[in-house]
Amino acid sequence: MKERLASMANRLTRDKADTLLLLLAAVMVLAPHFGHLPLWTSAMVCLTLAWRGAITLRGSRLPPIWLLLPVSMLAMGGVYLTFRTLLGREAGVTMLALLLTFKLLEMHARRDLFVVIFLSFFLLLTNFFYSQSILTALVMIATIIVLLSAQITFQLTGAVPPLAARLKLAGRIFLIAAPLGVLLFVGFPRIQGPLWGLPGDAAGGKSGMSDSMSPGSMTSLALSEEVAFRVQFKGAAPPQQQLYWRGPVLSNYDGRAWTRIGRPLYPVAQLRLARQLAWQGASYPYEVTLEPGRRQFLFMLELSEPGASIDSADGAYTDELEQLVRASSDKRLRYTSVAHPNYVAQPGLEPQALERWLQLPQGYNPRTLRYAAQIQALRAERGDDAAIAAVLDMFRKGFEYTLEPGRLGRDEIDEFLFDTRKGFCEHYSGSFVYIMRAAGLPARVVNGYQGGELNPVDGYYTVRQSDAHAWSEVWLGPERGWTRIDPTAAVAPERIRTSLAQTLPQPAPFGLQGLADLARDQTSWLAQMRFGISAMNNAWNQWILDYNPNRQQDFLRELAAAFGDWRLLAGLALCAGLVLLTKYRRTGRAQDPVDTAYRAFCRQLARHGVDKAPDEGPLSLAQRVRQLNLPREKIAAMTGFLELYGALKYGAPAAQNDNPVARLNSLLKQSR
Amino acid sequence: MLAPVRRMLDRWLFQLKARETGEVLLVMRRVFILPTKPGMSFVSLLLIMLIGSVNYNLGLGFVLTFFTGSCAIVDMYLTAKNMAFLRLVPGRAQPVFAGDEAQFELLVHNDTPRDRYALWLGFQDEGEPRQSIDVASRSSAAVVLSRPTTERGWLAAPRVRLFTRFPLGLFGAWSYWQPDLKVLAYPQPEVAPPPLPTTGAAREDGYGTVGLDNFSGIRNYQPGDPMRHLAWRQIARLHPADGGNLVSKHFEGGAVSDLLLDLKALPPLLDLELRLSRLTAWVLEAERRALPYALHVGHREIAQGLGEAHCAECLRALALYGKEGA
Repeated sequence: MKERLASMANRLTRDKADTLLLLLAAVMVLAPHFGHLPLWTSAMVCLTLAWRGAITLRGSRLPPIWLLLPVSMLAMGGVYLTFRTLLGREAGVTMLALLLTFKLLEMHARRDLFVVIFLSFFLLLTNFFYSQSILTALVMIATIIVLLSAQITFQLTGAVPPLAARLKLAGRIFLIAAPLGVLLFVGFPRIQGPLWGLPGDAAGGKSGMSDSMSPGSMTSLALSEEVAFRVQFKGAAPPQQQLYWRGPVLSNYDGRAWTRIGRPLYPVAQLRLARQLAWQGASYPYEVTLEPGRRQFLFMLELSEPGASIDSADGAYTDELEQLVRASSDKRLRYTSVAHPNYVAQPGLEPQALERWLQLPQGYNPRTLRYAAQIQALRAERGDDAAIAAVLDMFRKGFEYTLEPGRLGRDEIDEFLFDTRKGFCEHYSGSFVYIMRAAGLPARVVNGYQGGELNPVDGYYTVRQSDAHAWSEVWLGPERGWTRIDPTAAVAPERIRTSLAQTLPQPAPFGLQGLADLARDQTSWLAQMRFGISAMNNAWNQWILDYNPNRQQDFLRELAAAFGDWRLLAGLALCAGLVLLTKYRRTGRAQDPVDTAYRAFCRQLARHGVDKAPDEGPLSLAQRVRQLNLPREKIAAMTGFLELYGALKYGAPAAQNDNPVARLNSLLKQSR
Repeated sequence: MLAPVRRMLDRWLFQLKARETGEVLLVMRRVFILPTKPGMSFVSLLLIMLIGSVNYNLGLGFVLTFFTGSCAIVDMYLTAKNMAFLRLVPGRAQPVFAGDEAQFELLVHNDTPRDRYALWLGFQDEGEPRQSIDVASRSSAAVVLSRPTTERGWLAAPRVRLFTRFPLGLFGAWSYWQPDLKVLAYPQPEVAPPPLPTTGAAREDGYGTVGLDNFSGIRNYQPGDPMRHLAWRQIARLHPADGGNLVSKHFEGGAVSDLLLDLKALPPLLDLELRLSRLTAWVLEAERRALPYALHVGHREIAQGLGEAHCAECLRALALYGKEGA
């Protein structure tokens, strides 16, 4: 097989081999796009590439333009029919892929080769709309090297080094370029995009927490191991059971779903709001990197100071203590804030303002309303705390925590509380708030995430979709304000310590309990590997994908703090590089000491008015030296020098017992 | 307006000299570099890629843009290195007849450990260089550049431009070299010259001299026999190893006389160049017929003789008649 390949390579003429290399590069560029191009486009691209390969191997002529033009027009029509537009991202990428493919069939001049290669580079970029993983980056590097090799190949005129040598040269170019590339990546002034409105299809559908809660809305999240966000605490981290990441607050209930009231947005935290928040005790500064999703909620550790500082976006705040970004976006968001777990929130609300957290839909859940009447009586008798404790006590007795609660009927809270008694956080928090409202206590549902997994490798907490959670908030009078009550914790305390899904009994993979233990054990090698990969992905996100203007400023500031002014540092690095370069050049062209001495001697002669002609040898120089008006011993030294130089340079390699170079140099000194 | 700038650039930046004796080492100072047209397009491509990365916030897009941009900068460095530290040595230059192509041989030595590829060479005034060579490390390559001659006399090699785009073609590095090389152009021989001006008077010692007109047989080769008198048919019959011998055709009879080619003897009404052309044609004719001849051109008097060296001397005297450096 190998021999056959080699003989084939020998049979290929240079032109054919060059074109095949370019085809390979084009395939490497186009292949990652097949995943998202329309099926007919992928098929067309594959067919055309195969056709081009056949043309090259057979050595037949390229198709004429009267054939290419209609075919490409047809393809363009196909793109329009598929996307109903020629603009926009998807249509644009499809057009580009087709353009590159057809351009390969229309290569006549050197210019066309450059067009193909430049198109390939651009198409390589468009692939990042769909994937920016580490693997994509590795494929990108390989593709760049093949593209550069093709470019090198087309510059050669005579001798053609083997493909391996050309690939090596391309790899060397890339390696030399790498430090400069890193420097540019880190230091090149960044502008925050987008520069213009993104086409409508720029945001893909991503799962994430919605801003309403209806039966089953959490279930899809609970089983997803997708990362929701990552957190880095600037100092110590709060204990696990305090990690409540507050998201949308749901205060409307229509008997079926909990939804948000459309609260007015405040530009930044307003003073009026800030006055109603008070905290004491420990504070925890932190930074969150939120994965792209379709919602605009920021998840804040309860309770964070209003007005998180958000990279590259405008924040907004509501009086239900939600933090939002004004424009929902499809990119990763980074924001920082400070959390105070020991807080008092909005104790001074007016009674009429509290009305809206007491409303209930008419004609639902009569049994619950009767039960709530008992709780209200208890509350009037023994206070709010006792009433809450009584409800939680009921949950604790005889309720089961499960992700498969079964379907509930019209009066779902009645059925849940008195019939099925099975459910998870959305059932517990929803029914709890319902009872509280019916008992006359202002209450609401808070959605968000609870917990997070500490990655020991890089110190980041990873919060996954499976950490999604719902809890309740009750307004407990003008001293305590809004207070968090988590009824789920009463039923399944371990939920608060671990994640939603892990709380449930899991079937062991392949029926092997060992594997399940391995996966859950934090110290097993599997967990270590998982942590390592997770840390790598996180570093990739933090430093490559989300390296934005803010990040750049922070990083350069940190550099400045560590090394003094980074400009000075860059200058120093440049100087060091130059010094190294000149040194390298000097050693690169090692000087013959004899030649060095001769050059010095010629400079001396020039001072006496004897300029050596380029074609003049030492003997004719000696003749001119003898006519100089100089002391005799000096002339003797000079002619002696020239004779010795001539003997060393042109004489037979005599076995000198003394060091001729030393003698030459001493003569040089005497003739000075 | 542009001409003085151009002159200043030539003198100060490109350091063009009228003549560079000996060999020339292309130090970095002598290598100039600018982006090529594809290089300029590549810059626009990088710009578009950068804007795309900013607009769509593509972290990896920035990586791609900056790394390919750096590759272009590395290409600039490598292109300059592909040219720098080559040693240029003038080669041989054979005389030609005016109107023929003068061939200038140039040697490019590469004393460095790096192979050089795709070096283009050409005369500066001819625009795009037309010949390309590769020079492997620690070796040399020769290239022959030709240029048509129009008149007799010395033709100095025009300034040579070396050019390379290797490895990526985004930058073009070039260098100038004025090789110290000249070609002698003999006068163009007249196409249909009159017969040789033989005097017709036989010399006193002309008895029994070898004639040229009638073939009379073959004899063993003697040093000095003209090449065209070798009897190839006979020589070819036997291999020298099998006792074969070089044999010459033997002629006898015919007029043997003094053949004097004198410029003054030609009608002065004729154009000087035409007279020189005629003499050239006669020199060649006499040489072809192996007639010993003498040549008088102006003050230059070349005694009677025959053979390649004699011919070259005569032609040279004709070529340089009335020219500087004669």
